[in-house]
Amino acid sequence: MPTPSIEVAHLTKRYGKRPVVRDMSFTVNAGEVYALVGPNGAGKTTVIRLVAGLAFPSEGSVRMLGTNPHQEPAVRRKLGAVVEAPAAFYPYLTGRGNLHLHGRLAGGVADERIDEVLDMMELGNAAERRVGVYSLGMRQRLGVAAALLTRPEVLILDEPASGMDPLSLHLVHSVLREAASSGTAVLLSTHHLDEVVAYCTRVAIMEEGALIDEVNLLDRRERYRVWVDRPHDARALLETQPWIRHAAVRGEEVVFIPAEAGVIGRVTAALSEAGIAVFELTRDIFDLRGYYRERVSNERSRRSGAWAPADPRMSGEREGEA
Amino acid sequence: MRSLLAMEFGKVARLASVRFSAVLLVLFPILWAYAPGIYSVYGFYLVSAYQVPALSLLSSMQFLLPLLVAITSAELLGMELSHGTLPTVLLRPVSRSQWLLAKLLVASVYPFAVLALFFVVSLIAGAPYGYGSFVGGTGLGQAGLLGQGTMQAAHALREVAGAYLVAAYSLVPVSLLGVLFTVVFMNAAGGALATLSVLIFMQLLVVFPGLTPYLLTTQLNAYAKPVANMGWVSALIALYCAAFAAVSVVLFERKDF
Repeated sequence: MPTPSIEVAHLTKRYGKRPVVRDMSFTVNAGEVYALVGPNGAGKTTVIRLVAGLAFPSEGSVRMLGTNPHQEPAVRRKLGAVVEAPAAFYPYLTGRGNLHLHGRLAGGVADERIDEVLDMMELGNAAERRVGVYSLGMRQRLGVAAALLTRPEVLILDEPASGMDPLSLHLVHSVLREAASSGTAVLLSTHHLDEVVAYCTRVAIMEEGALIDEVNLLDRRERYRVWVDRPHDARALLETQPWIRHAAVRGEEVVFIPAEAGVIGRVTAALSEAGIAVFELTRDIFDLRGYYRERVSNERSRRSGAWAPADPRMSGEREGEA
Repeated sequence: MRSLLAMEFGKVARLASVRFSAVLLVLFPILWAYAPGIYSVYGFYLVSAYQVPALSLLSSMQFLLPLLVAITSAELLGMELSHGTLPTVLLRPVSRSQWLLAKLLVASVYPFAVLALFFVVSLIAGAPYGYGSFVGGTGLGQAGLLGQGTMQAAHALREVAGAYLVAAYSLVPVSLLGVLFTVVFMNAAGGALATLSVLIFMQLLVVFPGLTPYLLTTQLNAYAKPVANMGWVSALIALYCAAFAAVSVVLFERKDF
């Protein structure tokens, strides 16, 4: 099994006696986009800083590409990161000047690469302007450009899209998706839940410094639901099909994950053949917003001692019926 | 490391405190060279251009120069904090100690740059008094400003330049203390003010005669000391520098950002 690009084990951070991150463990593999979401003050930025090697864990460990970034700073040659929102630059230097400086700190980067990342982030026209006059969104885009400068194997970004207009937001997300598809491991914190569902591989929900849930979004994105007259029979039938990876009952519907693309037509055919009436078949868009609300409020109730199961209609299937 | 140093030296000129200091360092000798109250305060008349640098140094070494040096050394790190660029830099493959050592080196060189400017401006400001031999002293030798007969121009220049060199050296620990306190407080104002507070506190310790020879503030007068003592003074200043630099690095290595 390949070494994860980022490996976080039992990470705890305390300031004085107050824990801000509690016993967090997760991994991010090459080609994955792993998102940290959570309310303000949940500890996302602290986790980002701990993973990037800017802060020291009180307990637990962080390994980047198999090494401890504190002990071996050279591993940061393979790291691109933005940990400030907005991204911080020397205001008296131009955008290009700042990237030059980053390149020198990283051990040298060709001018062509600087042009390339500036163009990638649509900053070519503003490259010769001082960063002091850049808008918030431009600074953020320059931050992503600086992070991508050395073609990193690991990208760590704290709120990379904060303060961005929708077009810039789309641009940043498509650039990150492209980086991941070329094998870069991306760890980011964000509040843009819709974007998270659209392209992240996994999402960790944090509350009060703890990881309360981790959702595999690849499965959630490829999920379909079919409204039928006999859902339990339909599930039993679908489960026996080799081209269905998972099926579960949710009310009058069966939610399923196909094992491969292009098998949806076979589902209706198989169900009709078995005499099961199909009323509707559609993609099951994962409501991360609702799921997130439910998980966070459950966690808060649990901590305050007033835990009660949330309304299952909010989240998805009832696992007991699967 | 060379690239890092070049970058850090490049940043110095951008600092607001450097520009502010430069203005004061230019104004100060000009004002002192032509101040109408020199005789009533110091009891002598300037007779040579070489006395102006001496007067500038004598009247600024206890407070103004240490303060200017401390402000800039604190700002060296403080500007990274105020721009938010410190984490950005530390995310690059440069070790924390390497990066801080580059800052400490710049902070060590800075007092020499300050004193060089002060010396040149003071000499120029004294031009109307002439650069020839004169009767009296520079104020920085054994015989003070009154001197022991005629002083040759070359001797006067050597004496003044040597004093400036020693003064610059004795300001290096002050500069490094500014960096140290900025590491502690993580802001430039805190760093500069804490340095100033320590210097004032040390000056008040003159009531402990046994301690006085070892105090940092005592070394700030080294430029006026007989040359025979310089070995001991140099070693003590070097010790202060090493201690301040080492503590800065150790603390910086353990900081969370």
